[in-house]
Amino acid sequence: MTDTTISQPDFEKFREFFYRKTGIQFEPSKRYFVDKRLVERIELTDSGTFRNYFTKLRFEASGEELQHLTNLMTVNETYFFREEYQFQCLVKSILPDIVSRKTDKRPIRIWVMPSSSGEEPYSIALYLLEYWTGINDWDIEIIASDIDTKILAQARAGLYSARSVQQLPELLLRKYFERSTNGHQICDDLRNAVEFTRVNLAERADTRAYRDFDVVFCRNLLIYFDDVSRKAAAETFYDAMKPGGYICLGHSESMSRVSSLYKVRKFPEAIVYQKPLEVR
Amino acid sequence: MALIKTKTAQPVAADERKQSRDCASLVAELENANPIARRWAARDLTDWPTASAALVKRLPQEEDASVRAVILTTLTSMGDEVAVAGLVDCLRSENVALRNEAIEAMKQLPDEVAPIMRGLLADASPDVRIFAVNILESLRHPAVESWLIDVIDHDPQLNVCATAVDLLGEVGSAAALAPLQHLKARYADEPYIQFAADLALNRISED
Repeated sequence: MTDTTISQPDFEKFREFFYRKTGIQFEPSKRYFVDKRLVERIELTDSGTFRNYFTKLRFEASGEELQHLTNLMTVNETYFFREEYQFQCLVKSILPDIVSRKTDKRPIRIWVMPSSSGEEPYSIALYLLEYWTGINDWDIEIIASDIDTKILAQARAGLYSARSVQQLPELLLRKYFERSTNGHQICDDLRNAVEFTRVNLAERADTRAYRDFDVVFCRNLLIYFDDVSRKAAAETFYDAMKPGGYICLGHSESMSRVSSLYKVRKFPEAIVYQKPLEVR
Repeated sequence: MALIKTKTAQPVAADERKQSRDCASLVAELENANPIARRWAARDLTDWPTASAALVKRLPQEEDASVRAVILTTLTSMGDEVAVAGLVDCLRSENVALRNEAIEAMKQLPDEVAPIMRGLLADASPDVRIFAVNILESLRHPAVESWLIDVIDHDPQLNVCATAVDLLGEVGSAAALAPLQHLKARYADEPYIQFAADLALNRISED
Protein backbone atom coordinates (compact mmCIF):
# COMPACT_ATOMS: atom_id res chain seq x y z
CA MET A 1 0.00 0.00 0.00
CA THR A 2 1.59 3.30 -1.05
CA ASP A 3 1.03 6.55 0.72
CA THR A 4 -0.47 8.61 -2.08
CA THR A 5 -1.76 12.03 -1.19
CA ILE A 6 -3.59 14.67 -3.20
CA SER A 7 -2.57 18.22 -2.34
CA GLN A 8 -4.85 21.23 -2.61
CA PRO A 9 -3.16 22.42 -5.85
CA ASP A 10 -3.48 18.86 -7.24
CA PHE A 11 -7.17 18.86 -6.40
CA GLU A 12 -7.66 22.26 -8.05
CA LYS A 13 -5.75 21.18 -11.14
CA PHE A 14 -7.76 17.99 -11.46
CA ARG A 15 -11.05 19.75 -10.78
CA GLU A 16 -10.42 22.21 -13.59
CA PHE A 17 -9.35 19.49 -16.03
CA PHE A 18 -12.28 17.21 -15.24
CA TYR A 19 -14.71 20.10 -15.58
CA ARG A 20 -13.38 20.95 -19.04
CA LYS A 21 -13.66 17.34 -20.14
CA THR A 22 -17.06 16.48 -18.69
CA GLY A 23 -18.82 19.65 -17.54
CA ILE A 24 -19.02 18.13 -14.06
CA GLN A 25 -17.97 20.53 -11.32
CA PHE A 26 -16.77 19.25 -7.95
CA GLU A 27 -17.29 21.67 -5.10
CA PRO A 28 -14.60 21.82 -2.39
CA SER A 29 -17.01 19.86 -0.17
CA LYS A 30 -16.53 16.88 -2.52
CA ARG A 31 -12.81 16.78 -1.81
CA TYR A 32 -12.92 13.50 0.10
CA PHE A 33 -15.04 11.83 -2.61
CA VAL A 34 -12.65 12.96 -5.36
CA ASP A 35 -9.42 12.24 -3.46
CA LYS A 36 -10.53 8.71 -2.60
CA ARG A 37 -11.19 7.84 -6.24
CA LEU A 38 -8.05 9.53 -7.52
CA VAL A 39 -5.89 7.65 -5.05
CA GLU A 40 -7.59 4.40 -6.04
CA ARG A 41 -6.74 4.94 -9.72
CA ILE A 42 -3.18 6.18 -9.00
CA GLU A 43 -2.54 2.95 -7.14
CA LEU A 44 -4.28 0.67 -9.63
CA THR A 45 -2.35 2.16 -12.53
CA ASP A 46 0.96 2.07 -10.60
CA SER A 47 1.44 5.74 -11.34
CA GLY A 48 3.08 6.40 -7.96
CA THR A 49 2.26 10.08 -7.78
CA PHE A 50 -0.57 12.39 -8.73
CA ARG A 51 1.74 14.15 -11.15
CA ASN A 52 2.49 10.95 -13.10
CA TYR A 53 -1.14 9.94 -13.08
CA PHE A 54 -2.33 13.35 -14.22
CA THR A 55 0.11 13.27 -17.13
CA LYS A 56 -1.27 9.89 -18.16
CA LEU A 57 -4.81 11.18 -17.82
CA ARG A 58 -4.18 14.22 -19.98
CA PHE A 59 -2.06 12.77 -22.71
CA GLU A 60 -3.14 9.15 -23.11
CA ALA A 61 -4.23 8.89 -26.73
CA SER A 62 -6.93 6.26 -26.16
CA GLY A 63 -8.60 8.20 -23.35
CA GLU A 64 -9.08 4.88 -21.59
CA GLU A 65 -7.93 6.05 -18.17
CA LEU A 66 -10.12 9.14 -18.34
CA GLN A 67 -13.07 6.85 -19.01
CA HIS A 68 -12.16 4.62 -16.02
CA LEU A 69 -11.97 7.65 -13.80
CA THR A 70 -15.19 9.13 -15.16
CA ASN A 71 -16.94 5.88 -14.38
CA LEU A 72 -15.77 6.18 -10.79
CA MET A 73 -16.62 9.85 -10.41
CA THR A 74 -20.22 9.68 -11.62
CA VAL A 75 -23.02 8.88 -9.22
CA ASN A 76 -25.46 6.21 -10.33
CA GLU A 77 -28.18 6.12 -7.74
CA THR A 78 -31.65 5.32 -9.06
CA TYR A 79 -34.52 2.81 -8.95
CA PHE A 80 -37.55 1.75 -10.98
CA PHE A 81 -40.49 4.18 -11.04
CA ARG A 82 -38.46 6.92 -9.35
CA GLU A 83 -40.49 10.16 -9.65
CA GLU A 84 -43.31 8.15 -11.18
CA TYR A 85 -45.52 11.23 -11.60
CA GLN A 86 -43.42 12.17 -14.64
CA PHE A 87 -44.13 8.83 -16.31
CA GLN A 88 -47.82 9.45 -15.61
CA CYS A 89 -47.38 12.85 -17.23
CA LEU A 90 -45.74 11.17 -20.21
CA VAL A 91 -48.65 8.83 -20.90
CA LYS A 92 -51.53 11.09 -19.83
CA SER A 93 -50.43 14.48 -21.15
CA ILE A 94 -47.20 14.60 -23.14
CA LEU A 95 -47.71 11.75 -25.59
CA PRO A 96 -51.38 12.57 -26.26
CA ASP A 97 -50.29 16.12 -27.15
CA ILE A 98 -47.51 14.86 -29.40
CA VAL A 99 -49.67 12.38 -31.31
CA SER A 100 -52.43 14.96 -31.71
CA ARG A 101 -49.96 17.06 -33.71
CA LYS A 102 -48.29 14.28 -35.63
CA THR A 103 -48.75 14.33 -39.37
CA ASP A 104 -46.63 11.27 -40.17
CA LYS A 105 -46.33 7.73 -38.88
CA ARG A 106 -42.65 7.96 -37.98
CA PRO A 107 -41.73 6.58 -34.56
CA ILE A 108 -41.94 8.77 -31.49
CA ARG A 109 -38.43 9.20 -30.14
CA ILE A 110 -37.49 9.38 -26.46
CA TRP A 111 -33.98 10.14 -25.20
CA VAL A 112 -33.02 9.33 -21.63
CA MET A 113 -29.86 11.04 -20.44
CA PRO A 114 -28.32 9.83 -18.18
CA SER A 115 -29.28 6.21 -18.52
CA SER A 116 -27.46 5.21 -15.35
CA SER A 117 -28.00 1.49 -14.71
CA GLY A 118 -31.14 1.44 -16.86
CA GLU A 119 -33.93 1.72 -14.32
CA GLU A 120 -35.29 4.91 -15.89
CA PRO A 121 -35.40 3.91 -19.58
CA TYR A 122 -36.80 0.50 -18.66
CA SER A 123 -39.38 2.17 -16.43
CA ILE A 124 -40.46 4.27 -19.39
CA ALA A 125 -40.69 1.21 -21.66
CA LEU A 126 -42.66 -0.65 -19.06
CA TYR A 127 -44.94 2.31 -18.41
CA LEU A 128 -45.73 2.68 -22.08
CA LEU A 129 -46.57 -0.99 -22.45
CA GLU A 130 -48.77 -1.03 -19.37
CA TYR A 131 -50.39 2.39 -19.23
CA TRP A 132 -50.44 3.94 -22.71
CA THR A 133 -53.03 2.67 -25.15
CA GLY A 134 -51.34 4.63 -27.92
CA ILE A 135 -48.67 1.93 -27.99
CA ASN A 136 -51.09 0.02 -30.22
CA ASP A 137 -50.97 2.78 -32.83
CA TRP A 138 -47.46 4.18 -32.61
CA ASP A 139 -43.91 2.95 -32.71
CA ILE A 140 -41.64 4.27 -29.97
CA GLU A 141 -37.85 4.40 -29.89
CA ILE A 142 -36.09 4.75 -26.56
CA ILE A 143 -32.42 5.70 -26.59
CA ALA A 144 -30.65 5.86 -23.24
CA SER A 145 -27.18 7.39 -22.94
CA ASP A 146 -24.57 7.79 -20.25
CA ILE A 147 -20.96 8.94 -19.96
CA ASP A 148 -20.11 5.87 -17.85
CA THR A 149 -19.39 2.76 -19.97
CA LYS A 150 -19.43 0.43 -17.00
CA ILE A 151 -22.89 1.49 -15.95
CA LEU A 152 -24.10 1.11 -19.55
CA ALA A 153 -22.92 -2.50 -19.57
CA GLN A 154 -24.85 -2.99 -16.34
CA ALA A 155 -27.92 -1.39 -17.91
CA ARG A 156 -27.73 -3.66 -20.95
CA ALA A 157 -27.44 -6.71 -18.69
CA GLY A 158 -30.64 -5.71 -16.87
CA LEU A 159 -30.01 -7.42 -13.55
CA TYR A 160 -31.36 -5.54 -10.52
CA SER A 161 -31.27 -5.69 -6.75
CA ALA A 162 -34.38 -5.94 -4.60
CA ARG A 163 -33.85 -2.30 -3.64
CA SER A 164 -33.95 -1.21 -7.30
CA VAL A 165 -37.31 -2.82 -7.94
CA GLN A 166 -39.01 -2.20 -4.61
CA GLN A 167 -41.31 0.55 -5.98
CA LEU A 168 -42.63 -1.72 -8.74
CA PRO A 169 -46.09 -3.24 -8.26
CA GLU A 170 -45.76 -6.96 -7.59
CA LEU A 171 -47.78 -7.75 -10.70
CA LEU A 172 -45.33 -5.90 -12.96
CA LEU A 173 -42.36 -7.42 -11.20
CA ARG A 174 -43.68 -10.87 -11.94
CA LYS A 175 -44.64 -10.00 -15.48
CA TYR A 176 -41.37 -8.39 -16.61
CA PHE A 177 -38.69 -9.88 -14.34
CA GLU A 178 -37.36 -13.25 -13.48
CA ARG A 179 -36.05 -13.78 -10.00
CA SER A 180 -32.62 -15.39 -9.84
CA THR A 181 -30.06 -15.95 -7.13
CA ASN A 182 -28.29 -12.75 -8.24
CA GLY A 183 -31.36 -10.53 -8.23
CA HIS A 184 -34.15 -9.63 -10.63
CA GLN A 185 -33.45 -10.16 -14.32
CA ILE A 186 -35.47 -7.95 -16.66
CA CYS A 187 -37.09 -9.78 -19.58
CA ASP A 188 -35.53 -9.79 -23.03
CA ASP A 189 -38.49 -7.96 -24.58
CA LEU A 190 -37.68 -4.90 -22.47
CA ARG A 191 -33.93 -5.28 -22.83
CA ASN A 192 -34.37 -5.32 -26.58
CA ALA A 193 -36.60 -2.25 -26.49
CA VAL A 194 -33.94 0.19 -25.32
CA GLU A 195 -30.83 1.27 -27.21
CA PHE A 196 -27.97 2.15 -24.85
CA THR A 197 -25.24 4.49 -26.07
CA ARG A 198 -22.21 6.21 -24.59
CA VAL A 199 -22.49 10.00 -24.69
CA ASN A 200 -20.59 12.78 -22.99
CA LEU A 201 -23.04 15.66 -22.91
CA ALA A 202 -20.16 18.15 -22.80
CA GLU A 203 -18.66 16.73 -25.98
CA ARG A 204 -20.12 18.20 -29.18
CA ALA A 205 -18.89 15.32 -31.33
CA ASP A 206 -20.90 12.93 -29.13
CA THR A 207 -24.18 14.82 -29.15
CA ARG A 208 -24.27 16.05 -32.73
CA ALA A 209 -25.97 12.91 -34.02
CA TYR A 210 -28.76 13.10 -31.44
CA ARG A 211 -31.71 14.88 -33.00
CA ASP A 212 -35.43 14.73 -33.74
CA PHE A 213 -36.43 13.64 -30.26
CA ASP A 214 -40.01 14.15 -29.14
CA VAL A 215 -39.26 13.72 -25.46
CA VAL A 216 -36.07 14.02 -23.41
CA PHE A 217 -35.68 12.83 -19.84
CA CYS A 218 -32.73 14.49 -18.14
CA ARG A 219 -33.36 14.02 -14.47
CA ASN A 220 -30.92 14.79 -11.68
CA LEU A 221 -27.95 15.32 -13.96
CA LEU A 222 -27.80 19.09 -14.37
CA ILE A 223 -27.45 19.49 -10.60
CA TYR A 224 -23.86 18.25 -11.00
CA PHE A 225 -23.05 20.91 -13.60
CA ASP A 226 -22.05 24.52 -13.06
CA ASP A 227 -24.12 27.37 -14.54
CA VAL A 228 -22.32 27.60 -17.88
CA SER A 229 -22.31 23.84 -18.50
CA ARG A 230 -25.96 23.65 -17.52
CA LYS A 231 -26.80 26.32 -20.06
CA ALA A 232 -24.75 24.57 -22.73
CA ALA A 233 -26.56 21.29 -21.94
CA ALA A 234 -29.95 22.99 -22.26
CA GLU A 235 -28.87 24.31 -25.67
CA THR A 236 -27.66 20.86 -26.73
CA PHE A 237 -31.03 19.36 -25.83
CA TYR A 238 -32.74 22.16 -27.72
CA ASP A 239 -30.97 21.05 -30.90
CA ALA A 240 -31.70 17.41 -30.15
CA MET A 241 -35.45 18.01 -29.90
CA LYS A 242 -38.16 18.51 -32.46
CA PRO A 243 -40.13 21.75 -32.26
CA GLY A 244 -42.88 21.10 -29.72
CA GLY A 245 -40.79 18.40 -28.03
CA TYR A 246 -40.74 18.07 -24.24
CA ILE A 247 -37.97 17.83 -21.67
CA CYS A 248 -38.47 16.45 -18.17
CA LEU A 249 -36.02 17.39 -15.41
CA GLY A 250 -35.64 16.11 -11.85
CA HIS A 251 -38.03 17.39 -9.18
CA SER A 252 -35.48 19.81 -7.73
CA GLU A 253 -34.41 21.18 -11.11
CA SER A 254 -35.92 24.03 -13.09
CA MET A 255 -35.23 24.84 -16.72
CA SER A 256 -36.44 28.39 -16.14
CA ARG A 257 -33.36 29.03 -14.02
CA VAL A 258 -31.10 27.63 -16.73
CA SER A 259 -32.44 28.86 -20.07
CA SER A 260 -35.28 30.99 -21.37
CA LEU A 261 -35.54 29.03 -24.61
CA TYR A 262 -38.16 26.62 -23.33
CA LYS A 263 -41.80 27.17 -22.44
CA VAL A 264 -43.02 26.02 -19.04
CA ARG A 265 -45.89 23.52 -19.42
CA LYS A 266 -47.95 22.82 -16.33
CA PHE A 267 -49.76 19.53 -16.73
CA PRO A 268 -51.90 18.03 -13.97
CA GLU A 269 -49.22 15.44 -13.23
CA ALA A 270 -46.03 17.49 -13.53
CA ILE A 271 -44.32 20.65 -14.71
CA VAL A 272 -42.24 20.00 -17.82
CA TYR A 273 -40.57 22.18 -20.46
CA GLN A 274 -41.34 22.47 -24.14
CA LYS A 275 -39.30 23.62 -27.12
CA PRO A 276 -41.63 26.12 -28.78
CA LEU A 277 -43.58 24.77 -31.73
CA GLU A 278 -42.88 27.70 -33.98
CA VAL A 279 -39.08 27.45 -33.88
CA ARG A 280 -36.54 25.33 -35.70
CA MET B 1 -47.05 -0.99 -33.22
CA ALA B 2 -44.46 -1.39 -30.51
CA LEU B 3 -41.28 -0.37 -28.81
CA ILE B 4 -38.65 -0.51 -31.50
CA LYS B 5 -34.90 -0.36 -31.36
CA THR B 6 -32.96 1.35 -34.09
CA LYS B 7 -29.38 2.49 -34.35
CA THR B 8 -30.27 6.12 -34.16
CA ALA B 9 -26.98 7.54 -33.05
CA GLN B 10 -25.00 6.91 -36.18
CA PRO B 11 -22.19 9.37 -36.76
CA VAL B 12 -23.57 12.29 -38.67
CA ALA B 13 -22.01 11.99 -42.06
CA ALA B 14 -24.45 13.27 -44.60
CA ASP B 15 -25.41 16.74 -43.52
CA GLU B 16 -22.95 17.54 -40.78
CA ARG B 17 -19.94 17.68 -43.05
CA LYS B 18 -21.55 19.57 -45.86
CA GLN B 19 -19.70 22.55 -44.44
CA SER B 20 -16.09 22.52 -43.41
CA ARG B 21 -15.57 23.22 -39.71
CA ASP B 22 -12.51 25.43 -40.01
CA CYS B 23 -12.74 28.86 -38.41
CA ALA B 24 -13.44 30.85 -41.58
CA SER B 25 -16.17 28.45 -42.72
CA LEU B 26 -17.81 28.47 -39.30
CA VAL B 27 -17.77 32.26 -39.21
CA ALA B 28 -19.42 32.26 -42.63
CA GLU B 29 -21.99 29.79 -41.30
CA LEU B 30 -23.06 32.37 -38.71
CA GLU B 31 -24.88 34.04 -41.62
CA ASN B 32 -26.64 30.84 -42.77
CA ALA B 33 -30.38 31.23 -43.21
CA ASN B 34 -31.03 28.15 -41.11
CA PRO B 35 -30.87 28.83 -37.33
CA ILE B 36 -29.85 25.23 -36.68
CA ALA B 37 -26.72 25.74 -38.81
CA ARG B 38 -26.03 29.05 -37.07
CA ARG B 39 -26.35 27.45 -33.63
CA TRP B 40 -23.94 24.67 -34.54
CA ALA B 41 -21.48 27.14 -36.04
CA ALA B 42 -21.58 29.26 -32.88
CA ARG B 43 -21.12 26.15 -30.76
CA ASP B 44 -18.24 24.78 -32.83
CA LEU B 45 -16.44 28.13 -32.77
CA THR B 46 -15.60 27.32 -29.14
CA ASP B 47 -12.62 25.47 -30.62
CA TRP B 48 -11.28 28.66 -32.21
CA PRO B 49 -10.05 31.12 -29.59
CA THR B 50 -9.66 33.84 -32.20
CA ALA B 51 -13.32 33.64 -33.15
CA SER B 52 -14.65 35.84 -30.36
CA ALA B 53 -14.51 38.95 -32.58
CA ALA B 54 -16.73 37.31 -35.19
CA LEU B 55 -19.19 36.14 -32.54
CA VAL B 56 -19.26 39.58 -30.94
CA LYS B 57 -19.95 41.11 -34.34
CA ARG B 58 -22.77 38.67 -35.07
CA LEU B 59 -24.42 38.92 -31.64
CA PRO B 60 -26.31 42.24 -32.03
CA GLN B 61 -27.46 41.31 -35.54
CA GLU B 62 -28.78 37.89 -34.59
CA GLU B 63 -32.56 37.92 -34.31
CA ASP B 64 -33.12 34.34 -33.22
CA ALA B 65 -32.99 34.06 -29.42
CA SER B 66 -31.83 30.43 -29.56
CA VAL B 67 -28.82 31.35 -31.70
CA ARG B 68 -28.02 34.32 -29.46
CA ALA B 69 -28.11 31.98 -26.48
CA VAL B 70 -25.49 29.71 -28.06
CA ILE B 71 -23.32 32.67 -29.11
CA LEU B 72 -23.45 33.97 -25.54
CA THR B 73 -22.58 30.57 -24.09
CA THR B 74 -19.60 30.32 -26.43
CA LEU B 75 -18.46 33.84 -25.58
CA THR B 76 -18.83 33.04 -21.89
CA SER B 77 -16.69 29.92 -22.31
CA MET B 78 -14.06 31.95 -24.16
CA GLY B 79 -14.16 34.80 -21.64
CA ASP B 80 -11.35 36.69 -23.37
CA GLU B 81 -11.02 40.49 -23.53
CA VAL B 82 -12.75 40.71 -26.91
CA ALA B 83 -15.67 38.63 -25.66
CA VAL B 84 -16.06 40.71 -22.51
CA ALA B 85 -15.79 43.97 -24.49
CA GLY B 86 -18.49 42.67 -26.84
CA LEU B 87 -20.76 41.94 -23.90
CA VAL B 88 -20.14 45.43 -22.53
CA ASP B 89 -21.20 46.88 -25.89
CA CYS B 90 -24.48 44.98 -25.58
CA LEU B 91 -25.21 46.91 -22.38
CA ARG B 92 -25.57 49.99 -24.57
CA SER B 93 -27.97 48.28 -26.97
CA GLU B 94 -31.58 49.40 -27.36
CA ASN B 95 -32.53 45.73 -27.60
CA VAL B 96 -33.77 44.87 -24.11
CA ALA B 97 -33.53 41.11 -24.60
CA LEU B 98 -29.94 41.34 -25.80
CA ARG B 99 -29.03 43.64 -22.93
CA ASN B 100 -30.49 41.28 -20.34
CA GLU B 101 -28.80 38.31 -21.96
CA ALA B 102 -25.45 40.12 -21.83
CA ILE B 103 -25.98 40.94 -18.15
CA GLU B 104 -26.70 37.26 -17.44
CA ALA B 105 -23.60 36.21 -19.38
CA MET B 106 -21.37 38.69 -17.55
CA LYS B 107 -22.56 37.35 -14.20
CA GLN B 108 -20.86 34.09 -15.17
CA LEU B 109 -17.50 35.79 -15.63
CA PRO B 110 -16.47 37.20 -12.25
CA ASP B 111 -12.73 37.11 -12.84
CA GLU B 112 -12.96 38.54 -16.33
CA VAL B 113 -15.48 41.25 -15.46
CA ALA B 114 -13.77 42.33 -12.21
CA PRO B 115 -10.97 44.33 -13.89
CA ILE B 116 -13.47 46.44 -15.83
CA MET B 117 -16.12 46.78 -13.15
CA ARG B 118 -14.89 50.11 -11.75
CA GLY B 119 -14.95 51.50 -15.29
CA LEU B 120 -18.51 50.30 -15.83
CA LEU B 121 -19.64 51.75 -12.52
CA ALA B 122 -18.13 55.09 -13.56
CA ASP B 123 -19.59 55.03 -17.08
CA ALA B 124 -21.04 58.31 -18.36
CA SER B 125 -24.40 56.61 -18.93
CA PRO B 126 -26.49 56.07 -15.78
CA ASP B 127 -28.22 53.19 -17.56
CA VAL B 128 -24.93 51.37 -18.03
CA ARG B 129 -24.09 52.02 -14.36
CA ILE B 130 -27.43 50.48 -13.36
CA PHE B 131 -26.76 47.45 -15.56
CA ALA B 132 -23.34 47.13 -13.95
CA VAL B 133 -25.03 47.00 -10.55
CA ASN B 134 -27.41 44.38 -11.99
CA ILE B 135 -24.38 42.28 -12.94
CA LEU B 136 -23.14 42.50 -9.35
CA GLU B 137 -26.41 40.97 -8.20
CA SER B 138 -25.03 37.46 -8.63
CA LEU B 139 -21.41 37.99 -9.50
CA ARG B 140 -19.38 35.65 -7.34
CA HIS B 141 -16.61 38.06 -6.45
CA PRO B 142 -15.32 39.20 -3.05
CA ALA B 143 -15.28 42.88 -4.08
CA VAL B 144 -19.02 43.12 -4.75
CA GLU B 145 -19.81 44.85 -1.47
CA SER B 146 -16.99 47.39 -1.78
CA TRP B 147 -18.06 48.24 -5.33
CA LEU B 148 -21.62 48.81 -4.13
CA ILE B 149 -20.44 50.98 -1.26
CA ASP B 150 -18.44 53.02 -3.71
CA VAL B 151 -21.58 53.52 -5.80
CA ILE B 152 -23.67 54.82 -2.93
CA ASP B 153 -20.80 57.01 -1.74
CA HIS B 154 -20.13 58.68 -5.06
CA ASP B 155 -22.70 58.12 -7.77
CA PRO B 156 -24.53 61.40 -8.56
CA GLN B 157 -27.62 59.65 -9.93
CA LEU B 158 -30.44 58.69 -7.59
CA ASN B 159 -31.61 55.65 -9.60
CA VAL B 160 -28.14 54.15 -9.67
CA CYS B 161 -27.82 54.58 -5.91
CA ALA B 162 -31.29 53.12 -5.37
CA THR B 163 -30.38 49.99 -7.34
CA ALA B 164 -27.17 49.61 -5.35
CA VAL B 165 -28.97 50.06 -2.03
CA ASP B 166 -31.46 47.32 -2.89
CA LEU B 167 -28.58 44.95 -3.49
CA LEU B 168 -26.63 46.06 -0.43
CA GLY B 169 -29.63 45.00 1.63
CA GLU B 170 -28.92 41.47 0.43
CA VAL B 171 -25.14 41.30 0.38
CA GLY B 172 -24.04 44.10 2.69
CA SER B 173 -22.21 43.69 5.99
CA ALA B 174 -21.40 46.05 8.85
CA ALA B 175 -19.04 47.84 6.48
CA ALA B 176 -22.06 49.19 4.61
CA LEU B 177 -23.83 50.71 7.64
CA ALA B 178 -22.04 54.07 7.70
CA PRO B 179 -22.20 54.57 3.91
CA LEU B 180 -25.94 53.85 4.03
CA GLN B 181 -26.36 56.52 6.71
CA HIS B 182 -24.40 58.99 4.57
CA LEU B 183 -26.60 58.18 1.61
CA LYS B 184 -29.70 58.86 3.68
CA ALA B 185 -28.25 62.25 4.61
CA ARG B 186 -27.32 62.97 0.98
CA TYR B 187 -30.85 62.23 -0.21
CA ALA B 188 -32.75 63.43 2.84
CA ASP B 189 -35.71 64.54 0.70
CA GLU B 190 -36.03 61.33 -1.31
CA PRO B 191 -38.59 59.02 0.30
CA TYR B 192 -37.56 55.97 -1.74
CA ILE B 193 -33.92 56.24 -0.70
CA GLN B 194 -34.99 56.68 2.93
CA PHE B 195 -37.18 53.61 2.70
CA ALA B 196 -34.66 51.40 0.82
CA ALA B 197 -31.71 52.45 2.98
CA ASP B 198 -33.68 51.82 6.19
CA LEU B 199 -34.65 48.41 4.87
CA ALA B 200 -31.02 47.61 4.04
CA LEU B 201 -29.85 48.90 7.43
CA ASN B 202 -32.41 46.73 9.21
CA ARG B 203 -31.50 43.65 7.23
CA ILE B 204 -27.78 44.10 7.81
CA SER B 205 -28.31 44.78 11.52
CA GLU B 206 -30.46 41.63 11.82
CA ASP B 207 -27.55 39.61 10.42
